[in-house]
Amino acid sequence: MSFIDKIKLFLNSFDENEFFKINRMRPPGAVEEKLFMELCVRCSKCIEICPYRVIKRSNLTKNFEVGTPYIYAEEKGCRLCMNCTTVCPTGALDKDVTYFRDTRIGVAKVDDTICLNHLLYNQEEAGIADGTMAVCNQCFNSCPLKFDAIYLEDMILPRITDKCTGCGICTESCPTTPKKAINILPNGMADRDEAGYIQSLKRKGLR
Amino acid sequence: MQKIRKISQIFFLLLIVVIPILNLMEIYFFNGSFISLTVGNLAISDPLAVFQAIFLSHKIVPLMLISILIPILIVIFFGRVWCSYACPYFLMTELIDKIKNKLNIKNIQNKNINTNRQNIIRYGVLLTGFIIIGILGVPLLYLISPPSVISTQMIMIIKHLRFTSEVIILLSILIVEIFFIYRFACRYLCPTGTLLSLFQFKRFGLKVKHIGSCSECNACIKECPLMLDPKIDGDSKQCNNCGICVDSCKDNLKQKTLFFKMK
Ligand code: SF4
Ligand code: SF4
Ligand code: SF4
Ligand code: SF4
Ligand code: SF4
Repeated sequence: MSFIDKIKLFLNSFDENEFFKINRMRPPGAVEEKLFMELCVRCSKCIEICPYRVIKRSNLTKNFEVGTPYIYAEEKGCRLCMNCTTVCPTGALDKDVTYFRDTRIGVAKVDDTICLNHLLYNQEEAGIADGTMAVCNQCFNSCPLKFDAIYLEDMILPRITDKCTGCGICTESCPTTPKKAINILPNGMADRDEAGYIQSLKRKGLR
Repeated sequence: MQKIRKISQIFFLLLIVVIPILNLMEIYFFNGSFISLTVGNLAISDPLAVFQAIFLSHKIVPLMLISILIPILIVIFFGRVWCSYACPYFLMTELIDKIKNKLNIKNIQNKNINTNRQNIIRYGVLLTGFIIIGILGVPLLYLISPPSVISTQMIMIIKHLRFTSEVIILLSILIVEIFFIYRFACRYLCPTGTLLSLFQFKRFGLKVKHIGSCSECNACIKECPLMLDPKIDGDSKQCNNCGICVDSCKDNLKQKTLFFKMK
């Protein structure tokens, strides 16, 4: 790798366009979004203690989320080490969530129109499989709770159960681009595209 | 005494650099920023942050109250020593002053400024701040509190090699500080300092005291970074017990003239 390439790589590692990122969610144990925004004092303790550098600090965004912690699942999912819930000084992250299976950051959802396994299954069903597609299974293989949170129906179709912690590791490893075929719908946030962008008026109950 | 203060300031400056590095090495004994700091099992929080969280959420977690106990007790007994002995921003402004002195740039200091007016503006800013965050429903006052921004940004630099947008606010405060208003943040703006001032009581705590008569050299007035008159403003809420005035007093050599006293 040339020196210039290295510099480019370094500069690209700054994720400044986080404003547009979907699959954003709060750290494990986060209380529901409205209360979270009132309680989180932006102390960065959770960001600092995360050993996998999963939690990022938000830039100025639409509704004053500046400084709050986010996990961007497409970059890196939470490893469920449960360090961050122990440090929060105000209870924005619930201290009682200490066992990783109790965590409910959100729930994963498979988009079966682009999931490679679904596409392959459809081809095989229609009898037009031409050997250009292979089984993917990335989400299943990477899930820390495989068989519990995610299982393969008919040995091929990924299905999510209610044991899913929403850690986002599956999203991280899903190979489809530009959109991921498996997404996290964060708890307490409107939906995948609006995660974290709950309007300030809505937060105040005015809308 | 100024030497001890400098050492303490540098210690706290090192703290905000060393803590993120320790955390990178997975040593979690220390953790956090100047908004909230954990030492072992003990949490110490900036009262500003905790009051904002309580004010907005109407929820009191016992841990929050315990964590502000130490800072508040220190203020009640020793005044706002946080500002003079620990705050990295205060160290920064003193450095700016030194550089300005070296370059022979005069500080725009208006010594006739009324202490009461300073205090009224500070409390005004704090009150307006609380009204605004009450409307928004988000604890945003840390944005104008320089030590909070500095220490959280330091975590970001060390952990993620990047800033977040709060630095823009910090830079604007610094520009006003350097070019327009002398000690702008500490005298008028910083809500952390103002909130701590609420716990400085007139009749109790460590105060600067003057015996009443002296040679009137007014060195103390010239040296005071917060533009007070140490001879009469010793128990002002603006005074952060830095002791610069006490050390500048020449009369102290002959007789105790300007000194710290526990009231
Ligand atoms: S549980 Fe561990 S990996 Fe996940 S966000 Fe918290 S500290 Fe990071
Ligand atoms: S530790 Fe808690 S208060 Fe601090 S930034 Fe994280 S969520 Fe917010
Ligand atoms: S399916 Fe597994 S990997 Fe994906 S979010 Fe749920 S628990 Fe995490
Ligand atoms: S990783 Fe993505 S594409 Fe592969 S099976 Fe899972 S959801 Fe489908
Ligand atoms: S008033 Fe604020 S900026 Fe000034 S020394 Fe105190 S805490 Fe630091």
